[in-house]
Amino acid sequence: MNPGLHATALIADDEDAMRAQLRSRLREAWPALEIVAEAANGVEAIALAGQHQPDIVFLDIRMPGLSGIEAARMLFNRCHLVFVTAYDQYAIEAFEQGALDYLLKPAGGERLKTTCARLQTMIGKKPANIEHQLSALLAGHGGAAGTAAKPEYLRWIQAVVGTSLRMISTREVLFFRADEKYTRVQTQQSEVLIRKTLKELADELDPDEFWRIHRSTLVRVDAIQEVTRDLRGRQMVKVRGFDEELEVSRGNAHLFQQM
Amino acid sequence: MNKMNETEGGGASHQAGSWPEVAAAIGKVWWSFFDWLAQVEWKRLAVICVLLMIFLSILRASHLAICLILLSLGLKVLAGGKRKAELEARAASSHLDQESLERRLVEAQMAVLQAQVEPHFLFNTLALIGQLIETDPPQAARVHEHLIDYLRATLPQMKARASGTLARQITLSRAYLAIMQARMKARLAVSIDVPAEIESASFPTMMLQILIENAIKHGLEPKIEGGRIDIRASVERNVLQLEVIDDGVGFNPRSGEGVGLTNVRERLHILYGTRAQLVIEAPAEGGTRALIRLPYTPDIFAGGAV
Repeated sequence: MNPGLHATALIADDEDAMRAQLRSRLREAWPALEIVAEAANGVEAIALAGQHQPDIVFLDIRMPGLSGIEAARMLFNRCHLVFVTAYDQYAIEAFEQGALDYLLKPAGGERLKTTCARLQTMIGKKPANIEHQLSALLAGHGGAAGTAAKPEYLRWIQAVVGTSLRMISTREVLFFRADEKYTRVQTQQSEVLIRKTLKELADELDPDEFWRIHRSTLVRVDAIQEVTRDLRGRQMVKVRGFDEELEVSRGNAHLFQQM
Repeated sequence: MNKMNETEGGGASHQAGSWPEVAAAIGKVWWSFFDWLAQVEWKRLAVICVLLMIFLSILRASHLAICLILLSLGLKVLAGGKRKAELEARAASSHLDQESLERRLVEAQMAVLQAQVEPHFLFNTLALIGQLIETDPPQAARVHEHLIDYLRATLPQMKARASGTLARQITLSRAYLAIMQARMKARLAVSIDVPAEIESASFPTMMLQILIENAIKHGLEPKIEGGRIDIRASVERNVLQLEVIDDGVGFNPRSGEGVGLTNVRERLHILYGTRAQLVIEAPAEGGTRALIRLPYTPDIFAGGAV
């Protein structure tokens, strides 16, 4: 522990009260540490780090513009990084595993002293290469939010209704049906036309969410109530809460074979 | 996957004549007769047969009656049992649908209870209060009070029964917004425009809050300069409309709907059927506009709502 060692630092947090807090706690724990700049978002953090070349950057994880982890990817080989978070279970586990330095808000006490002591031993040395850990963290972080792992399918249909652009969740849609140049989007409560063709929709939608049962029909699998055969032997799909039945073309009859 | 299995409908295709409509009508009559036959009790069938016999012999057509009766009995013996089992299975499955609807309601309620207090929000707010105690004690006390109001309305154990009014929901959201303003400072502007006379209307819990949290989390927090959120309520022709409008970063059509909106949609459907609506729009000037429409009930006994 060498509180007299001079070093420079940057604090990045979108809440100014939290920046003030870290600044005052650092003053107690490490008086010779000079805070050269404060940033209110990830983009600013990168710009100010470039301008001031600090030895250390304290990065809040959740920030507008660029998250702390995204900003870290651009800074890790230029300065020592410490992540700061109030609560982020997933990230904290990853930090532990990757031996990355982090602080929990409100930062202070023994924990902050330990972090400062560790930083002091590293001043003047080349920062560790943590690119690998950061990439894993970014991938996992996205996955935790439920987006990164799967390819991104279309989840909202944009339709012009009157003068506004309505966003219809695919979970609301019962089926799509080709209607000349347009496609009809049927929900339980409304029926709207969009310009996207059925082919384009079929390419963009999750194939497990919507099945193509006919050249002109894409039906939401979860909405199917039952499949019956009509008098001419055609399979007809009945969707929940809707009277019209949808024909299954012979080529797609395999979708509903008895299991 | 059993719902996808075909329902047996064989034996009818030979009736499809050149006029599909006529054939369809005949088919319909035939199948309803067949279904009746399959389900009717033997005793009753016997009585009907005797009556039919008497009636048709008065019309001097007893051989027709015998044909009809033999045909009915034959069908009943040969195919009735199977058809009956099938019809019973179908009735059971629609009963299951009803049960699954009820189960979904319970699940939706559970999810809403669990999804309420985001730990991130709670820890950040507590960290802020800690800092304010040192630098601005009166402000710390205010944020602390807002947090208590918010938790009181949100924590399942503390949920009062009479929480289903618009006024109650707005009070909760005001507390939340005040905390977010203390944290985001100039990055968050709020306006609430709800006429006092409709505040007693019943309104399901947490729905306004979910729309507001979405607007902040997905619209305004990610936007560097922040923005504003407008909450408006109005009544027109007995329909209560509640809008939450933000001028944030707008919507990614490839991001999932999220637990919150799904929950609102499900509960609206279960509570009001097709009389309620959740609409999400992307205004031309940017941001997101979310609105809920539901039947207006200026109810002094409000609280029965979920």
